[in-house]
Amino acid sequence: MVTGWEKVMGPIDLSKKSNLLSNEVEESLKRIQQMKGVIGIIVINAEGIPVKTTLDNSTTVQYAGLIHSLTAKSRSTVRDLDPQNDLTFLRIRSKKHEIMVAPEKEFLLIVVQNPSDGS
Amino acid sequence: MADRKAELERKKLRLQQIREEKKRKEEDRKKKEQQEHASKGAPAGGSSESELEKKRKDADELLRDLGLPESGPSTASASAIKTTPSDGGAQVLGASPQRKAKLSLSSVSLSGFPPKESISYSKETQTPVETQEEHEDEDILAETPEDNPLLLPNNQSQRLKKNLQNQVRINGRGEERIVHSEDFVRFLDRSTRVIERAIAEDADIFVDYGGNGEEDGEGERDAGANLSQNRQFFDDRWTRYRTVTCLDWSKQHPELLVASYSNNEESPHEPDGVALVWNTKFKKTSPEYIFHCQKHDIHTARTNNTSALKQDFTLTYRKNCPNWGDGAKNSQKHLLWSNSPLGQSEYQEDPVQRTPLSAAAHTHPVYCVKVVGTQNAHNLISVSTDGTMCSWSLDMLSQPQDCMQLKHKQSKPVAVTCMTFPHNDVNNFVVGSEDGSVYTASRHGSKAGINEAFEAHQGPVTGIDCHQVQGRLDFSHLFLSSSFDWTIKLWSLKHSSAIHSFEDNSDYVYDVQWSPVHPALFATVDGMGRLDLWNLNEETEVPTTSATLDGQTAMNRLRWNHSGQQIAVGDDEGRVWIYDVGEGLAQPEEMNGPD
Repeated sequence: MVTGWEKVMGPIDLSKKSNLLSNEVEESLKRIQQMKGVIGIIVINAEGIPVKTTLDNSTTVQYAGLIHSLTAKSRSTVRDLDPQNDLTFLRIRSKKHEIMVAPEKEFLLIVVQNPSDGS
Repeated sequence: MADRKAELERKKLRLQQIREEKKRKEEDRKKKEQQEHASKGAPAGGSSESELEKKRKDADELLRDLGLPESGPSTASASAIKTTPSDGGAQVLGASPQRKAKLSLSSVSLSGFPPKESISYSKETQTPVETQEEHEDEDILAETPEDNPLLLPNNQSQRLKKNLQNQVRINGRGEERIVHSEDFVRFLDRSTRVIERAIAEDADIFVDYGGNGEEDGEGERDAGANLSQNRQFFDDRWTRYRTVTCLDWSKQHPELLVASYSNNEESPHEPDGVALVWNTKFKKTSPEYIFHCQKHDIHTARTNNTSALKQDFTLTYRKNCPNWGDGAKNSQKHLLWSNSPLGQSEYQEDPVQRTPLSAAAHTHPVYCVKVVGTQNAHNLISVSTDGTMCSWSLDMLSQPQDCMQLKHKQSKPVAVTCMTFPHNDVNNFVVGSEDGSVYTASRHGSKAGINEAFEAHQGPVTGIDCHQVQGRLDFSHLFLSSSFDWTIKLWSLKHSSAIHSFEDNSDYVYDVQWSPVHPALFATVDGMGRLDLWNLNEETEVPTTSATLDGQTAMNRLRWNHSGQQIAVGDDEGRVWIYDVGEGLAQPEEMNGPD
C-alpha cells in the first residue's frame, strides 16, 4: 500500500502548483454568476478585448470598450495624484446597476450587478 | 393640346422659312463674295458672318422655346458675339489667329514623382490614456463606424476595426490559450475572490434613516436573545454528506475558521479528506480556501500562528485501508498547509509538508494534535490511539523530534482520543481515552509519561478542555470532559474525583469547551443537535441556554472564537453553524469582590 505518494517530501516547488484547471475557471465564473443580483461577467485583456463573457456580443463590446478606457483613466488619475499609488478596484454605482471592476496588469474582470436585488 | 400642335406647326413653318432664307442668302453671299473677291478683298465677310450668327441665334431661341437642347455653338460664343454686335473688323482681327493655330510635333520629357506620403503616428504612452480614445468609444457606442468616417481620424477607425478583428480572433482560437495560461488563472483566482466579497457585502450605503422608520426593532430583538443562529457555511460540492471532524479559529485573522471534513461515502471518487477555510467577515457563501487530499480522512485541523508572515493549517488525517481491523496497516500523517501571503492559492492541491509513515512515529489514527509553546519556540504535539505521542518541529515533519509511549502503569497503552494543555503549560497535559478514563501526563522530567488516572466516564471520552481564562483567581487546574455516557464532568487536577457531573443530555456528548473570556461559561454539543451553554454562576443542573438544530442532525464539534462572542458548530451533514452569544451571557460581569 505504500506508494510514491507517501514518500517523505520536503517543501514542494511552488511553480508547479498553480495548475488550476480551466474547469475551475469556469466554476468560479459560474459561482459569481449565480450570486444574487449578478447580471453579467466580462473578462477583458489589457487591450480591452473580451476574453470571456456571459453577456451578448454587442453589450460585451460596448462594456469592454467603455470600461477599459474608464479604468485606464482612473488608473492614470490615481497615479498622477501619487506615483507610488495604483488602482486596485473600481465600483460604479448607478441607479440601475453597479459595475465592479477588478483591474490587474494583464486582465480586467468586470461584474455588472443589480444592487437592489443583492441586498 | 391642339394649341400646342398649332404652335408647333407654326414654328416649323417659320423654321422652314428661315432655312429657305438662309439658303437664299448663302447663295447671295457666295455670289457677293465672288464679286467682292474680284473687286476688293476679305473684310466684307465679317458682316455676313455676324448675320449668320444672328440667324442661328434666332433658331436657337425657337428651339429653346420648344424645350429642345440648343444646337450649334455654345451660349458663351453667342454672348461674346452679342457684346460685339457691329464692330466687325475688331472681331475678325481677334478671331483670325485662333483659326490659324499651327499643329506640330514636339518631344515631351517624362519624369515620375512618388505620391505624397502622409505620415501618421500612433501614440505610445505609459498610461494609455488619450483623448482620442474617447472618440473611439463614442464610435463604439454609436456602432456606426462606417457611416461617418470623416468624423474620426483615419488611424482611429482603422484601429477600431483591427480591435474588432482581434476580438473575433480571440473568440475563435486564442481564447483557449489565454484561459489556460498561468497568468489568467492566477488573475482570475485573485479577482474572483475580491469580487465575491464585494458582491456579498450587502450594506446599503444609500440607506435613508430620516425617511422611514420601518427598519427599527430588529436590534432589540437580537439583544434579547442569548444564543442566536447567525449563519451557516455549506458547500454543495465539498461538504455534502461529510461530517465536520474538527474546527479551529485563526488567531491572526479572527474572522477565519478552518473546518475539516470526513470522507464522503456517497461519492468515492471525490477526495476523502477536505478542509475548508471559511470567512465570517464577508457574507459570501463560498470558502476562502479549499484543501483536500486523496484517500485520507482529515481528523483534526488547527491554525497555527507561528509568525506574522505565515499562517499555517495543520491537519491530521488517516488513511483508509480496506483492512481497517488490522491496526498495523493504517498509516497516519500530519499535513501542514502553509498559506503565506506570498503564494496563496498555490497550495490548494497538496500539503506543503507531511509526516511519513514510519514505525518511529504514528502507526495508528491521530485524533488530536496541538501546537504548544510561544510564537517563536513551539512544537507540534500529536497523539495517536496506540498511545504514541510525538512532538515535531513545524519546519521539518520528516521525522519527529521526540517520541514516547503513553502507558498506564507501564503496561496498558492509552488509546488517546483527545488532549488538552493547561494554560501556559507546555509540559503537563491531560488526555481522554477510549476506555473512558482521563489521564494526566507530562512530556519531560522524571515523571515523563502518564502520571495519574481518573476513572471518569463509562464511555469513550470525546472532548476535554482545560480552563483558559486568566484572572485574579487561578482556575487553570480545572478541566471539563465530555463522553458517550451522556455526561459532562468537571475536574480539578488537584482532586482525583469529579467535582461535578452535568447530566442533562440524553445523547452522546461530542464536545465541550470553556469560553475564552468568561470564567464560568462553557459550551457543549450533543448527538441530538443541541448546543448548550452552561453558566456555573447561575445554574449547574440545567444549561443556562440552549439552541437546537432542526431535523435529525448531530452536532459533532464546537469552537469558541477568540472574542468569546461566537461559537462555530459543526454537524454531521457537512454544515458549519455560527451562533452569536448574547452580550450579557458572553461577557463576565464586573466584579467588585474581595481582593
